Amino acid sequence: MSRGVMLMSGGIDSPVAMDQLLRQGHDLTAVHLDNRPFTDDSPLAKVVDHVKVLAQRHGRAIPLYVLPHGPTQITLMRSTDRHVGCVLCRRFMWRTAEKIAEREMATFLVTGESLGQVASQTLSNMRTATIAVKLPIIRPLIGFDKLEIEAAAREIGTYEISTRPGLCCQAVPDRPATRSNLVQILGEEERLDVDDIVDECIRKATLYSE
Amino acid sequence: MGYETLKLCSGRSAFESIPNPKLDLDLSAIRGKLEAAGVRVVDARVMLIFQLEHEVTLGRDGRILIKTADPKAADRVFQALDRIAGLSLRGSGSVPP
Repeated sequence: MSRGVMLMSGGIDSPVAMDQLLRQGHDLTAVHLDNRPFTDDSPLAKVVDHVKVLAQRHGRAIPLYVLPHGPTQITLMRSTDRHVGCVLCRRFMWRTAEKIAEREMATFLVTGESLGQVASQTLSNMRTATIAVKLPIIRPLIGFDKLEIEAAAREIGTYEISTRPGLCCQAVPDRPATRSNLVQILGEEERLDVDDIVDECIRKATLYSE
Repeated sequence: MGYETLKLCSGRSAFESIPNPKLDLDLSAIRGKLEAAGVRVVDARVMLIFQLEHEVTLGRDGRILIKTADPKAADRVFQALDRIAGLSLRGSGSVPP
């Protein structure tokens, strides 16, 4: 079986998506983009516990990379249009995950996204975000509704972890764009040193093994 | 008008206060006051993030977020921010029972 890199947020969806692929026998490496200071310590603690539960449930090692995403968010907030901040943020998450995939010799990326759930998960925004990377992206939950995902999370023992108190991302603008224009996004990124931002994030990665 | 109460945020791990109506704060001036008081500030253009007794996020629209689930600690931070930055925050005992 091939290896994939799974983006983990600490929310309800990503451990359910991870469980789906582990059940199919795929090897996964988890990646968490640590959004502090735009959140608190809770997402990282939740991801560590999610990985622990799923590693035990499937009896296999799941390496976890934690990367600092807060500095990237600060750069985006200082230099780009706030309305498309979620799409830009997501593009940097994907780029970072793809770099980790190269390091781990992984051949695909995985996410817990389901269509239309939040601003970054409209079809338009998902397309604009994922065009930043070349590896295929697997979305095991794409057609699930929230109740189905919650039921699955309870069954695998991750729901209680996901719903512990925790701060939502404070970098989300009041009215995030639900439709994005690739020309505008590329224009925003022209003001940034994209490679430098990603490399700096990768350089500060911490690897946990579970 | 202004700030009235601190409420537990939806994630239940921080207290927030949102002024009514929203403000248009001069974050550069507030950053200056904070730094003059020895507070290190992260300036994200539309918000400032800094550490008092607990970490605080202050948005340009006046939203204050204090990263603690302890209402008394949140109130202390709220008052300290008022003293340092002079936001005309209203009265003490701002956390509802």
